Amino acid sequence: MLDSILIFSILTLILGLILGYAAIKFRIEGNPLVNQIDKILPQTQCGQCNYPGCRPYAEALAKGEAQINQCPPGGQDGADELADLLGVEQIPLNTEHGETKEPMVAVVDEQVCIGCTLCIQACPVDAFVGSSKVMTTVIAKECTGCELCIPVCPVDCIDMVEIQPTLGTYIPNIKDIAHA
Amino acid sequence: MLSNIFRGGIHIPNPYPVKNPKIVKVPPPEKAVLILQQKVGGQAKPCVEVGDKVLTGQVIAGTSSQYCVPIHASISGTISAIDKQPIPHPSGIDAMCITIESDGKDKWVEKEECGADFLSCKPEQIIDKIRSAGIVGMGGAGFPTHIKVSSVKNANTLVVNATECEPGIMCDDSLMQNYPREIIRGTEILLHACSAKKAIIAIEDDKQEAFNSLLMYNHNDKITIQRIPTKYTSGADKLLIKSLLDVEVPAGKHPSDIGVLCHNVGTVKAIHDAVIDGRPLVSRIVTVTGSGVEDPKNYEARLGTSFASVVSQSKPNKQKHKIRMGGMMMGVDVNSDQYSICKITNCIFINNFEPEPQVNECIRCSSCNQVCPINLLPQQLYWSSKSESIDKALEYNLDNCIECGCCSYVCPSNIPLVDYFVFAKAVNKKQINDAERADIARQRFEYREFRIERNMSERAEMMAKKKKALKEKMAKEKQQKDKIADAIQRVSKSKENKDA
Ligand code: SF4
Ligand code: SF4
Ligand code: SF4
Repeated sequence: MLDSILIFSILTLILGLILGYAAIKFRIEGNPLVNQIDKILPQTQCGQCNYPGCRPYAEALAKGEAQINQCPPGGQDGADELADLLGVEQIPLNTEHGETKEPMVAVVDEQVCIGCTLCIQACPVDAFVGSSKVMTTVIAKECTGCELCIPVCPVDCIDMVEIQPTLGTYIPNIKDIAHA
Repeated sequence: MLSNIFRGGIHIPNPYPVKNPKIVKVPPPEKAVLILQQKVGGQAKPCVEVGDKVLTGQVIAGTSSQYCVPIHASISGTISAIDKQPIPHPSGIDAMCITIESDGKDKWVEKEECGADFLSCKPEQIIDKIRSAGIVGMGGAGFPTHIKVSSVKNANTLVVNATECEPGIMCDDSLMQNYPREIIRGTEILLHACSAKKAIIAIEDDKQEAFNSLLMYNHNDKITIQRIPTKYTSGADKLLIKSLLDVEVPAGKHPSDIGVLCHNVGTVKAIHDAVIDGRPLVSRIVTVTGSGVEDPKNYEARLGTSFASVVSQSKPNKQKHKIRMGGMMMGVDVNSDQYSICKITNCIFINNFEPEPQVNECIRCSSCNQVCPINLLPQQLYWSSKSESIDKALEYNLDNCIECGCCSYVCPSNIPLVDYFVFAKAVNKKQINDAERADIARQRFEYREFRIERNMSERAEMMAKKKKALKEKMAKEKQQKDKIADAIQRVSKSKENKDA
């Protein structure tokens, strides 16, 4: 009798320790649903969804406070993917939040730039380099095309340009293939 | 002869055999247009300006990254333009090119050669020679050769691919018949550079002449010349290695990962020229063939020569033509003969124009599944690629497709299967790229949030500290004041006491 109580107590203790350890070791950072939603969002960080970035929007979605059709950069495909993940009905994109555009990057006209650094402060992903009173440029690789820098520039020297396909990124047109 | 040849593939007899294997030298052109971007690696950086005089073999664009190769002037003359020009690529995108107007002299730069005594050069020196001669895979893949040679780990075997990648192309065959000595020499140089123990030159059994010439010049017992059955796609690296050595290169790995180095014969000849003669890559052998020319032939042309000036020597007929760069299976259709020959132009097909065959629905005959040399299921790949379900296509090993076109060739419904796979691969590449960009943006956004918060809390902390210091100061001052007041009081009290 005493033996079995002892054995079971020890066993419980060991298993408890293992579980406790596992809980710490394999803890998922943050809320897993928020992470899953964030993974689908395009990370343009443009704020068109009325939240200050993709993650805040993901958090609002997870709490059920936002609609799935508020992200124009993600397009209809993105909204549909969110619907699948959250198990809700697919709905058309809400055009009040803006239109889905081709991917763009910001380009600074370096002749005109006065080095006011307002764009540096506006950029959600720190894609500008420069400091006060010297000209500023954009790291094209890191620019998400969110357009948040456009309204803040006092001399209007930032332009959004479409990303041109290169030999390495060219995708043949599937319609041409079908009609070949 | 070999027995463990792969399953699948197709037999296509050469539709337009050349009558004379002699290589015709095309005179240096009036104008050469040289592309700065190769198939693999970054774009070379021009190091000359418009108006500069250049000599043949002079470097006109330097490397921008490890995978990039330098570009050499292919004729002597004056740089007339550095700008975007149309290039033979299905996208129709223009690419940066350097144009040279000839001075008609074809004067060469001083050549720096290793000479015949390459054995005294260190392997690194040879690899550097290969890089600075601007050599890329001449079979059509265009992979920078110096990277291939230097990345091989514990090389055990060197395979020289002399199989002629596709039916109709004959440039390698004629190269072997015309330059057997150089090819054996080049193989010896490569053996020395990668320190492999043996080399196998693999040649198809329908090239008797070429086989004989190589045999005559080979006196090195490390080098064997192996004949393999003529069958399309036997020249694909991994399949060739499987049939020669009976080892499998795992999916997603390169031959170099298992100690095998595989080079096209054209590349080997270019290596010979670079190391022994100090001659950079400024010309190549091009086959001109097809139903639209009377006299299919092999030409040695300077890079940058226009297709038209080479084709004109093969007596093209007066009909409307369909032009294709590369072979009938893996080449690309181009819309003009004004493009210029680049490092990977192994063949120019000039075919009489014929309407495209009618494409029908897939009848699930499974012919494509039977010919795929990689044992993929093109039929399944087709459905998933067409519906843009890239994940599905990847499950069917889209990545492993070598784009050989066997499946398209046999399809009774004329479905351009391989075009769908090229499309699906490009979409997949974009998806991977986009995901990477999104990850970077996410990280940077989160870091910015963190930084702003940290700055704010640091500020708040500083403010709190200042406040505390101020309070303490005030408290101290008050204490002082109190003390003084106390003292005054005490003094006045004692005065009062005295007075009293
Ligand atoms: S609208 Fe802009 S900020 Fe909002 S989720 Fe979409 S990309 Fe992110
Ligand atoms: S193109 Fe791809 S799928 Fe078709 S036969 Fe060749 S390897 Fe197989
Ligand atoms: S060969 Fe053509 S028709 Fe036959 S199964 Fe393959 S895709 Fe379908």
